[in-house]
Amino acid sequence: MKHLVIKDIINSELAVSTENGKKVFEIVDSYLQQKEKVELDFGGITIMITAFLNAAIGSLYSKKEYTGEFLNEYLKLENVEKDDRVLFKDVIQRAKEYFADKDSFEKNSNDAFYGSN
Amino acid sequence: MIKITIADKLRSEYEGYNVLVKLMSEHQNTSQELVIIDLCNVSFIDANLCALIGAFFELLESNLNEIKIENINKSVETILRKNEFLLRFGYAKIFDNYNTALTYRKFTPKDDQSFSAYIQNQLLNKPGFPSHSVKLGKAITRNIFEIYENARTHGKCAFIHTCGQFFPKDPDKPLQFTIVDKGVNIKENVSNYLKREMMGDDAIEWAMVKGNTTKTGSTSGGLGLAVIFDFIKHNKGKIQVISSDGFYEYKNGNIIKRTMNAVFEGTIVNIKFNLNDANHYILHEEVDDDFENIF
Repeated sequence: MKHLVIKDIINSELAVSTENGKKVFEIVDSYLQQKEKVELDFGGITIMITAFLNAAIGSLYSKKEYTGEFLNEYLKLENVEKDDRVLFKDVIQRAKEYFADKDSFEKNSNDAFYGSN
Repeated sequence: MIKITIADKLRSEYEGYNVLVKLMSEHQNTSQELVIIDLCNVSFIDANLCALIGAFFELLESNLNEIKIENINKSVETILRKNEFLLRFGYAKIFDNYNTALTYRKFTPKDDQSFSAYIQNQLLNKPGFPSHSVKLGKAITRNIFEIYENARTHGKCAFIHTCGQFFPKDPDKPLQFTIVDKGVNIKENVSNYLKREMMGDDAIEWAMVKGNTTKTGSTSGGLGLAVIFDFIKHNKGKIQVISSDGFYEYKNGNIIKRTMNAVFEGTIVNIKFNLNDANHYILHEEVDDDFENIF
């Protein structure tokens, strides 16, 4: 089990940029790829926005192998303040829709070019 | 030499934005001139509008013009010295005894650390911010960062201009905060994305809906403006967005959409937050206890 502290990864109490979200995603992804369980610790983060979470958490759904079931088992979110939890819910729901639509958009585009069979 | 005389007070309302946006449009191609801004008729400026005036000056300076300000009214001068807008024109800073001015600043899109430090110093560390609740302060700060990140991500601009002002004597104790970027505008982004020509105000309205985003890359989006919009409804504040020829305002349950007299090549977001919001609003929707299995 790998314990990752967001504040240390981004070197800030403010989780407010897409770039820092990507940093977190890349580290989390590197452990999940090896099927190592991750505890992602949000302790000490004072401000967090959806743009950061889209990149850090939402991007996980861009990978087909990371199903909801897999993430519930391998990724634990710690010390998330109650007020911030609704942001996670929105970001996760939006990411699921976004990547599903993206797949169907790309599939439809491919079908248009190459036929559906 | 070119003399620009601003005809009247400048308020952060449709008319005030129109005056400044029209000037920007008219002087898009003015270059290598001495541009004198005559403020003799301007008895009042909403201080947060310095963000837009700063964007105008950025445009003039990028075309190698020299700017001079003339005939500035004493009270306007005082406000613009308190918020440091006039410092680069040789004026000294006036100490802001009441701590109501948020300094005018411009940031490059990569300079998010400086913006974070600015928000820490200008808002979070200010005594009396917010007046009642830490949670409200946190929510306001989050919304400001959402707008800033939106400008960084979508604007493709050279600078992001910001300014703000507290009005502690008003019963609502409002904070006005404005962020301006000159880059690709919302109308262009949305029209390109939807592959159909839209009016500027309709494009802004589309961008305010949760889940609507023009992002197509490996990161999802479409929440930032919707989160802000949701907050403003609960806080009984006001949001104005101007982009291209579109003006959009939400206040007290009413939406006003109008067409500007000129095109603004970028986006202006102005928000009025009520610091006197005793209801702990926050994102009303509760997340159930199943946070353990949130995925």
